[in-house]
Amino acid sequence: MRNTKWAAVVGLVALALGVGAVQGQQQPSGEYKIGVLEPLTGNLAVQGKLHLEGYEIMRDLINSHFGGVMGKKLVLVSGDAVDPTAAASEATRLAAREGVKIITGTFSSTLCGAASEAASRQNVIYWETSCVDPRFTRRNLKNVFRTEIDGTGFGWYNVEFIAKHLAHRLGKKTNELKIAYLSEDSSYGQSVTESARQRAKQEFGMQEVGLEYYTFTTNDLTPIILKLKNANPDILHHIARDQDAILFWRQAREQNFQVKAVVHAGATGYGNPGFGKAFGNDANGPFALLEPGPGLIIEKFRPEGQRVERAFREAVKAKTGSDVLAGGHQLAGGGLWVLKLVLDAAKSDDLDKFRAAVMSLDLPVGSAVNGWGVKFDETGQNSNARVQHYMLQWQNGSLVTVWPEEFTTNRAKWIPLGPWDQRK
Amino acid sequence: MHVIPQLIVSTLLLGGIYALIAVGLTLIFGVMRVVNFAHGEFLMLAMYVAFWAFSLLHFDPYLTLVVSLPLFFAAGWASYRVVMRPVIHASHNVQIFTTVGLSIALQNLALVLWTADARFVRTDYYAVVVRIGGAAFNVAQIVAFVVAVGFTAGLFAFMRWSYTGKVMRATAQDRQASALMGIDTDRVYAVTWAVGIVCVGAAGVLLAPIYPVYPTAGLQFVLIAYVAVVLGGLGDMVGALIAALVVAAVEVIGSYVIGTAWKEVLYLLLFIGILVVRPAGLFGQRGAEALGT
Repeated sequence: MRNTKWAAVVGLVALALGVGAVQGQQQPSGEYKIGVLEPLTGNLAVQGKLHLEGYEIMRDLINSHFGGVMGKKLVLVSGDAVDPTAAASEATRLAAREGVKIITGTFSSTLCGAASEAASRQNVIYWETSCVDPRFTRRNLKNVFRTEIDGTGFGWYNVEFIAKHLAHRLGKKTNELKIAYLSEDSSYGQSVTESARQRAKQEFGMQEVGLEYYTFTTNDLTPIILKLKNANPDILHHIARDQDAILFWRQAREQNFQVKAVVHAGATGYGNPGFGKAFGNDANGPFALLEPGPGLIIEKFRPEGQRVERAFREAVKAKTGSDVLAGGHQLAGGGLWVLKLVLDAAKSDDLDKFRAAVMSLDLPVGSAVNGWGVKFDETGQNSNARVQHYMLQWQNGSLVTVWPEEFTTNRAKWIPLGPWDQRK
Repeated sequence: MHVIPQLIVSTLLLGGIYALIAVGLTLIFGVMRVVNFAHGEFLMLAMYVAFWAFSLLHFDPYLTLVVSLPLFFAAGWASYRVVMRPVIHASHNVQIFTTVGLSIALQNLALVLWTADARFVRTDYYAVVVRIGGAAFNVAQIVAFVVAVGFTAGLFAFMRWSYTGKVMRATAQDRQASALMGIDTDRVYAVTWAVGIVCVGAAGVLLAPIYPVYPTAGLQFVLIAYVAVVLGGLGDMVGALIAALVVAAVEVIGSYVIGTAWKEVLYLLLFIGILVVRPAGLFGQRGAEALGT
């Protein structure tokens, strides 16, 4: 009997050790706290809350499956960055009152500049996961890092897709392609558009036949559509905010504007689920550069990337009940995962050691969440080529991944786009 | 390419939308001398009424328009009683703060209730387009234009020939003399405010099949409606209609000829230019802003 009890105890201990061995991590001891700044009220709150949820899901995953950060349990303390003023004051509060050494956030390009300036004044590391304003990493601030590509990266990827996928599908050489640029006039729209224009012309010799900027609250886009009809482009590179994409699509249909492909970048405009809700199957056709969506072949990632991607997707599904990840979840979760890798390598939040760890991190595509790789430059910006992005297309009311083809089971359709009533 | 006919059609249809919003605004100002900064938010709420009636009850927006007019009147009456009545005799500064406060409150209420997502009423006929002479007419915009002209004509006739309209004009001209003549000015203001809200409510329902709705949707229209109201002459309904068409023409033709980025510069330059030459607007009565105070 006594031997049986001892055998049971030994068995339980062995089982516990075995679970640990399967997970390959020690249980974290102690706590490590970082700040999270997101707009949790106001007009940007929907996306801000999605980002916060993404951080929380990844935090729980890191603590339960991946040994925390630097061997400690990761703890988040959040602040509401409703506008740039609040972003700066909350960043100061998190640093001064909460004592955090690292702040992450903030979704919007209108917020990240102010928040990171305030963090810099407090000598705190600022780890941006989603704002795409190119100026963010061009201020010579040594404490600032960004895991997501910036607006110029979106332009780079869009031209990559046009040159390496659309051109041959349209039966044209890249220098035969006629491209028109249309964009809302924020820093986001302008940075994406200008970088796309530059690369399309200099590297591929594409023919620019139109360029138009507009305020996203404009009430009538018919004059622009008439100009585009005159220009007769093969491809429309359109960076839209939200309601302007809906207005443009409706009015383009009214004017029977025929273009062979429409290419967008980002989670706004054509990348917003609201576009599909507005039009249903009539939304079919446009492309949007985003994080990976339905159709992704996770097996194409490297083993370590597959492991964390699967775990993250399961955790998101457990939390939200959905198989489809929101962009906010993917950007926040992906960014926090890279931060964990850096902290584990640096074993410190001292800025010099942390920065050295950031610069030495060199992971190929497919190594992390979203299939990202990592290679930061001296400005603190992760590289375009490593932060793998994906082209999604509206197909029958859903955005599905269609490019790069090696990463997806879906294929791009309607190239060239047919008449409006035949895109079924 | 039939560019010129299309530009003319776009001007008329866009101008109709601006006029529809401006007419209620100018009515309220004309009688009450209150600039309603919450006008855009009432427009937004009416767009949500159309959206939810369509999504939940499958009501066509034009059915909703008919059904909801009493609702908008009641909402206007109630908002006057609760918010405007206490400040109707206060200074303009107090009234401005009150309507701005109401505007912010309604915007944030919509944000809390329905989030910032843009929503769109996609009727079966949303893509139906009439093509005449190379120009494309969106059916929903044609309806909005016709209703705008109808509302303007109806309000003009109401103000000119009905007893209530005469009472409203009398109150606008001299509040104290009207009270001495036995007019219940408080009731006149309540009716005026409510009718103004009915106008903007109708505009919101008619806009729902054309534009997406979100909590700040009213702002993109109401600034231009203010321009049309001032340009047409404060309190002048026909002036507001014509001014709305002028603003739309500048916006549409300027966007095509010079560039979309210039459209606001163009119509605001026109606005400033006309006010320099005619401070009371195109059709306004000199000193109208001081009447009845």
